[in-house]
Amino acid sequence: MGLTHGRFKRASGRARRGTSGIVGGALLLAATLGGCLGAIGGLSTDGGGTTKPANKVPFKPQPATIHRLTSHQLQNSWSALFGTELVIPIASSLPSDDQAYGFRSISAAMRTISPLEAEQYEQATYAVIDQVWAKDGWRDATLGCAPTTLDDPCIRVYFAKFGRRAWRRPLVAEEVDELVALSKKVDAFTSSTPEALKFATASLLQSPNFLFRIEQGLPVGPEDPEHEGLFKLTGLEMATRTSYLLLDSPPSEGMLDAAEQGLFDNPELVRAALAYTLDQPEARGPLVRFFRDFMNIGRLDELDKNIELFPAFSQTLGPAMRTEIEKLFEAKVFDERGDFRSLFTTRTTFVNDELAKVYGIDGITGPEFVAVTLPNDGKRSGLLTTPGFLAMNAHKTATSPTHRGRFVRMNLLCQDVPPPPMGVSTALPEPTPSEPKTLRERLEAHREDELCRSCHQLMDPIGFGLEHFDALGQWRDLEAGLAIDAVSDIDGRPFDGAVELSALVAELPEVGVCIARRFYQHATARLDTKGDRPAVDSLVMSFVESDFDFRALVIDMVINDGFRYVSAPKETP
Amino acid sequence: MNRHGFFRRALDRRAMLRGLFGGALVSVGVPILESMLNDHGNAYADGEPLPTRFGLWFFGNGVRLNSWLPVNQGADWQPPAGGELVPLVPHKDYVSVVSGLNVKTPRHPHHSGISAVCSGGPHLKVDNVRDTIVSTFKYKSVDQVAADHFQATTPSPYRSLEAAVTRFRGTDEGTSFQYLSHNGSLNGETNVNPSEESPQAFFNRLFNMGTAAPLVLKARASVLDSVANQITALEKRLGARDKERLDQHFSSVRELEKRLSAPFAECSKPTAPGDYPDLNGDEQMTQKNQVMSDLMAVALACRLTQSFSIMFSTCGSGVVMWPAGSKDGQHYMNHTEPSPWTKQHSSVTFTMEQLGYFLGKLKATPDGAGNLLDQSSILVCTEHAEGWTHSQDDMPMLLCGKGGGRLKGNVHFRGSGGNCSRALLTALRGAGLPLSEFGYEAGKTTLPIAELENA
Repeated sequence: MGLTHGRFKRASGRARRGTSGIVGGALLLAATLGGCLGAIGGLSTDGGGTTKPANKVPFKPQPATIHRLTSHQLQNSWSALFGTELVIPIASSLPSDDQAYGFRSISAAMRTISPLEAEQYEQATYAVIDQVWAKDGWRDATLGCAPTTLDDPCIRVYFAKFGRRAWRRPLVAEEVDELVALSKKVDAFTSSTPEALKFATASLLQSPNFLFRIEQGLPVGPEDPEHEGLFKLTGLEMATRTSYLLLDSPPSEGMLDAAEQGLFDNPELVRAALAYTLDQPEARGPLVRFFRDFMNIGRLDELDKNIELFPAFSQTLGPAMRTEIEKLFEAKVFDERGDFRSLFTTRTTFVNDELAKVYGIDGITGPEFVAVTLPNDGKRSGLLTTPGFLAMNAHKTATSPTHRGRFVRMNLLCQDVPPPPMGVSTALPEPTPSEPKTLRERLEAHREDELCRSCHQLMDPIGFGLEHFDALGQWRDLEAGLAIDAVSDIDGRPFDGAVELSALVAELPEVGVCIARRFYQHATARLDTKGDRPAVDSLVMSFVESDFDFRALVIDMVINDGFRYVSAPKETP
Repeated sequence: MNRHGFFRRALDRRAMLRGLFGGALVSVGVPILESMLNDHGNAYADGEPLPTRFGLWFFGNGVRLNSWLPVNQGADWQPPAGGELVPLVPHKDYVSVVSGLNVKTPRHPHHSGISAVCSGGPHLKVDNVRDTIVSTFKYKSVDQVAADHFQATTPSPYRSLEAAVTRFRGTDEGTSFQYLSHNGSLNGETNVNPSEESPQAFFNRLFNMGTAAPLVLKARASVLDSVANQITALEKRLGARDKERLDQHFSSVRELEKRLSAPFAECSKPTAPGDYPDLNGDEQMTQKNQVMSDLMAVALACRLTQSFSIMFSTCGSGVVMWPAGSKDGQHYMNHTEPSPWTKQHSSVTFTMEQLGYFLGKLKATPDGAGNLLDQSSILVCTEHAEGWTHSQDDMPMLLCGKGGGRLKGNVHFRGSGGNCSRALLTALRGAGLPLSEFGYEAGKTTLPIAELENA
């Protein structure tokens, strides 16, 4: 499925929510962002309630890059070309998707193709097309004809048409010539004309033009003074980048047509088309995968806890914890909509039988997830009290206020925490049997040592607020018989325990900014730099304006200058 | 069954294969048998030198120095009682210990350590926009340096092979934390040779591909040739980093094309190893080490490659060394265990037992007039001296194998704070690379460790 032309037409009639709230939004921005403005790049408000850059940082996005398709994107691309009956090579047989700075998208913008991976792509390509060529009907439907000689004119038509879908751009005549020449070359090795075409198709599908998303853009001239000197991604590049961002799938032919006709130069039409697309079930998986990277919960599939200390642990519990968090996201973004930050405060969640045990909820049976409302007992609310978050940012046998705090600091507040200095022993003093200590008390050692303190004070105090949850995310009143002290603060803002911490985090201006910024990083597949600031600021503003509606963030990202413009390619220094 | 019965293909295949691969006079895909050699057993009958193999064997998080270091220096090293090298004593004729050398490149916990001991150069911080580090190797790891040399002189079907024993359970800090074999990265691109972690997949790739009709192989090679041309055409239009990325894609495609174009004799199929899924959450690392070691030994004996790497555990690995009594991830355990670091000690001892299995396997695999370990030079290293302080002085390193007679074995060389690249240089020379210097930037050295080499 893609953004088909037909849908786009149907959707284009819908009016977007009016922009009359922009002034109010800006006031809210002023009220909400408070002291963090400097941190994200110079936004300020004047007395008139309009927002403008405080000191104009020139917009200088990063250069274009090519993006290796992720395994989901590759699998969906094969499906789009050959149909859903295709048995798709499994992800473990394909080059792996790693994370860089949290995101698979960023890693994909850095990866090469190693010898092993070239082998994997080759194997997978034949695993795909051999299925199609094994059935004459399927093969001929793919080719669009049943040629018996390589001079059949329909062959050039096939390469042009199939090639445009595979490479997400029209092939130039020389490229079609090359494919015809390849077919003739391998014809000597094969038994039939269609077989020769199979190998030419294999070339199309092992091409960097298929395995990577190629983005270059075209130079912007004086006709657009605001962007002069930058490169603007073409309509086809935008169609491809948008389709893979929203659907992890290539653009449909209708989408390519619309893009060639200038769709992406009409923001209102893009808004309408995207709003429609986000209503489709196919849009859920890719955005859930964004959130999986955002929360770094893919690692829950490998969750490992000591079974003697945590009898509730099992091999299926980690994946269930991940599912809970993903369902929370999905419900918020696609079903309830509304303020994304309420993810931090909601007492509604989703559990199955195993997860219910971790929560201490009775009466849930079976592996299916059901919605539950947590008791209003001051113990849990929202993301930071999900077992998944708590267990993943803990060790196999013990909690880690440091890891929990580090995650909040880096991934939710977008702040940096340097690594420990060289040559410093990281071992903590062991408690003696005669003088037992809580982990918090032991961690005080980090706060007394000046070398350790400067960084640990950024992390540990946040984590102290979550010490009522053990390494599996279960509530505990005591730690090894000792009272737990969950009174703490973030940067001087006091709180007592997880529920107060969560409420505080939801209101922290840094959090709204950080969500928008990290979506910007995911969408552009780069960490933002100084030159991105005007674009990031604008995205943050629109997120605030939308009352933190995540769907609006996605749409605003696509029409954001940071998604459309790149700098000139960087040459070797 | 005679000792070569393991290999299916007959000796006379070699003559047929000669000259097929890359035009050079080499034999691949068949074991090297004594009957192929000259009267001295030190070269092929026609004078062609016997191939040496180069290996990189890595484990994460350092050692505990006071129980790692031998009690004496020079020949015939002895571990302290209960020391971490005790499991290697049965192979000590083939093992030299290097200590007292330091990381000379700019230091950073873990990152600079692995780059220094595996590549001889600094790590590259990718996209230098924040303190939190994501890094890759700026220069290629030594297994790839050796692969370049071998492919240029005596090419093999695979330029290198990469295997892993335990899984990546580290943090998102870049390829330095996740991978071992690197191709170098001047512009921050991610250019690695991922290690195969599944024994069955490794087996399928090397020994279970089935036999494709020669004409199909030719067609597939032609396809790859056209893909390479597409890469070249595209590359011209891209920026520096993307050019580097596509250059690697180009090399990878050409590598595969060459292999398809020059059929080589198949090794006799070893037994399918199967996979070793976790048992109650525990990685079956002893079993996986055995089957991976066995498969690698067959691949080396058959000359499928001359250069390999085995990543026993990753840099900063979070693997739980449960067979050594550990209950927590190695990285966390290492950082929090108080003195006297008992679990760290038992984890490293266990790791050396696993290395010992691999060395034993190579020693038991005939190659030429001797065994595979006689013909190998293997660098064993880890990114820290001791993990809990991230120390990168006095790096624990081993040089295993006799390098076809170039390496002595059974020597403890203790430097006094010199450059740890000296061990890398010596290991590469041990595999026959004609190098008088090695390393990059502050990691460069011109001093091989003469004490470990035969004159």
